[in-house]
Amino acid sequence: MSQRYYEFFCPVKVIAGKAALEHIPYELSGLGAGRPLLITDKGVRAAGLLEPVLEACEEGGQEIVTIYDDVPPDSSTHVVKDIAGIYRSEQCDSIIAVGGGSAIDTAKAVNILVSEGGDDLSAYAGAGVLTNPLKPFFVVPTTAGTGSEVTSVAVIADTEKSVKLPFTSSFLLPDAAIIDPRMTLTLPPHITAATGMDALTHATEAFTCMAKNPLSDAYATAAVKKISNNLLKVMDNPKNADSRLELAEASTMAGIAFSNSMVGLVHALGHATGAICHLPHGLCMSLYLPYVLEYNLETIREPLGELLLYMAGPDVYATTPANRRAEECISAIRKLRDALYQHCKLPRTLQETGNVEQDQLDRIARVALDDGSIMFNPREVTLDDALAVLKRAWG
Amino acid sequence: MLAKPLRPMALQARRLYVELMFQVMGRALQGISEVDQVARDEARELPEGFLFEMMVRPRGPSLVVEHTGEGRFHYHGDNPPRPVDLSIQFKHIAHAFLVVSFQEKTSVAFAHDRMLVDGDIGYALRMTRILNRLEAFILPKLVASRAVKEYPANLKLPQKVLSAARIYLKVATQFFDTARAS
Repeated sequence: MSQRYYEFFCPVKVIAGKAALEHIPYELSGLGAGRPLLITDKGVRAAGLLEPVLEACEEGGQEIVTIYDDVPPDSSTHVVKDIAGIYRSEQCDSIIAVGGGSAIDTAKAVNILVSEGGDDLSAYAGAGVLTNPLKPFFVVPTTAGTGSEVTSVAVIADTEKSVKLPFTSSFLLPDAAIIDPRMTLTLPPHITAATGMDALTHATEAFTCMAKNPLSDAYATAAVKKISNNLLKVMDNPKNADSRLELAEASTMAGIAFSNSMVGLVHALGHATGAICHLPHGLCMSLYLPYVLEYNLETIREPLGELLLYMAGPDVYATTPANRRAEECISAIRKLRDALYQHCKLPRTLQETGNVEQDQLDRIARVALDDGSIMFNPREVTLDDALAVLKRAWG
Repeated sequence: MLAKPLRPMALQARRLYVELMFQVMGRALQGISEVDQVARDEARELPEGFLFEMMVRPRGPSLVVEHTGEGRFHYHGDNPPRPVDLSIQFKHIAHAFLVVSFQEKTSVAFAHDRMLVDGDIGYALRMTRILNRLEAFILPKLVASRAVKEYPANLKLPQKVLSAARIYLKVATQFFDTARAS
């Protein structure tokens, strides 16, 4: 009997494309909500990204009751508590998050407090603690990479105890993700590149790691195709709204893929590097992706070879011998990284970042071994293995 | 017609097998922490007094071990002396059976969402590495390869046989002591 088993879950309504923001009022009313709190950060506001959201709501007769625009890059329990206080005092009944990973995670955590009650967020940390649906919650992503709009996790720092609190529950998933090309049109080149590589890594690891399944595979391959076809187009012409939308869709699709099939060693090393050297997550993904694929090669040869079709197109796939497709796929990823380096100097090695010291590699490797993602890597990673990958990524 | 009456017996046998394997694993965890330096080095990072539980939801078989310091474990049977710090829970006895009968690797069981982790994920990974090392020691290579993600390439036969013999001896001694005490 087949040993195959998988689970797949994504109840998020995806509202994507031209004038998507203008659907917010109708969608809110459909959930019986009319007093939303908008959560964002100063960068989003300064980039003028709130205007189209506010305009769309105002024109649609939807009042935004209040705006919290001070979410820091690494959000904390204090910030969440403050925002929950605002939500209660303003008698809001729903939440709209506009931003990247931090704003979205913060909004998820706020939704826990305002729905479950109390001020002690740590009481809800862990997996499966939440047992009731939360308040109506919409997400408008402003980067095309994290996929947080379709993931059921949030991480918030408890600054008093100096720990990061993880929250995992399907109730954290937003009711709707609004993907509008206007929201990523002004994303600077290096962020576009790093977040694009983040999404590519989500899709690639989802397709090659242990919990891959037919449904997440479909999302992952579609995401890889969209990224490989559009990332360099956007780098050449940042105002290309069609390609921007393709990238934003790819990010959401990669998010759906990896939240159902998990990720592997690239993320384990990336999380450790982010924590120790404070490098952005997307950059870490871009740094490690080819080296980890090379390390995993013999266990992922078949799926990685298949991915070449989506990474490089049917002509390259057809003219590459079957036993060379996996290597060719890694080569295509390297070429993409080289092109991004030419465009915006997105580092390809740890050395090129200028922010990592060689004597930090051992610590990064040790921290990576205790990262949850490593469980789903197709190879059993030892300390020596992790160090070997890091040394190759050093450059 | 015979299959129907035999079904409850098969389920009972499956439950008993899982219970027995949990007892062996609990005692063997204590054993490996006494004989293997690598396992001790892994366990040393756990807080002293750290209680680890592996159980089958909702009230199925369980094993509890405590890190008593210096990388050593003490097996508490299925009774934790206080609330546990980390619990790895199989969702169903059938899922536990798949793992302890070596039809499904522990890592695959995680990937298949057969198990839940309640507690620090880093510690859960550490305990999984120790369990993998234990299985690599005490099971024949062919069986161990079905239980762990990757059979350790540097584990040579003399070390494996010697360590396995010492762990089995400790497990047998504990079983004997328990039987004598009861």
